[in-house]
Amino acid sequence: MNMMAIGMAVTGFAAVMVAWGTYLGAIPSGRVPVRPVGAIGLQLVGVGLAIAAIVSSFRDGRSPGVAVILPAAFAVMMASFFFYLFSLRKTPVGDLKVHVGDTLLAFEAMTADGAQFRSDSLAGKRTLLKFFRGGW
Amino acid sequence: MQADLDEYGVSLLALSKDTVEEASIHRTRDKLSVTLLADPKLEVIRQYGVEHQKALGFTTGSFQLFGIPFAFVPSYKSMAIPTSLLVDENGVIRWLDQTDDYRLRSSEARVLQAVKSAFT
Repeated sequence: MNMMAIGMAVTGFAAVMVAWGTYLGAIPSGRVPVRPVGAIGLQLVGVGLAIAAIVSSFRDGRSPGVAVILPAAFAVMMASFFFYLFSLRKTPVGDLKVHVGDTLLAFEAMTADGAQFRSDSLAGKRTLLKFFRGGW
Repeated sequence: MQADLDEYGVSLLALSKDTVEEASIHRTRDKLSVTLLADPKLEVIRQYGVEHQKALGFTTGSFQLFGIPFAFVPSYKSMAIPTSLLVDENGVIRWLDQTDDYRLRSSEARVLQAVKSAFT
């Protein structure tokens, strides 16, 4: 057993998970960083450790055991998934049909209670209308 | 936030592509007091030009492994680009804020700043 390789793989996995946890924890409070340098840096360190762990255990002349492969693979998988999601962050703006000074476009929708909602009912009221991505 | 909006007589409306059922679940689960509007056919979202096609969304419970619902299943779907519109009593849009990075939303401070400058 290459204890150093196991240690590196587990530390790498822990680094990736700490980055994920910190990042996800920032979402509900609306404190998501524009450039998550810490989360990205920490995950690159984690992936580096995971790869180093696998290389190190191969150098031993034996194949790396489950204790190395499992955390190392998860570290690489989770970090790749983070980078993939991060690459999708841009939204296609520019198609907006209304501008400041325009009148609200009349619309109809259903409320969460299943009642019909018409934008006429907003007449005489100040409203903050938010379009959001939905519950998840 | 709600209290600050009340002070200026601004009510909050939130619209998404969720169905009435999903919006209802969302409201109960997160104990929301705002009016949620359901636009599952994206009619209003397209009318306002705030559609994000092929956005990667996560759905809870649509996939099960050994009878345990998998929490976050990614799938591509159309949904709204996070956008805020501040509308006055005459139906005129006084402030508009849209994100080019869906991870980032109008911050509370920015919304309040806009409300203050529009209604004081």
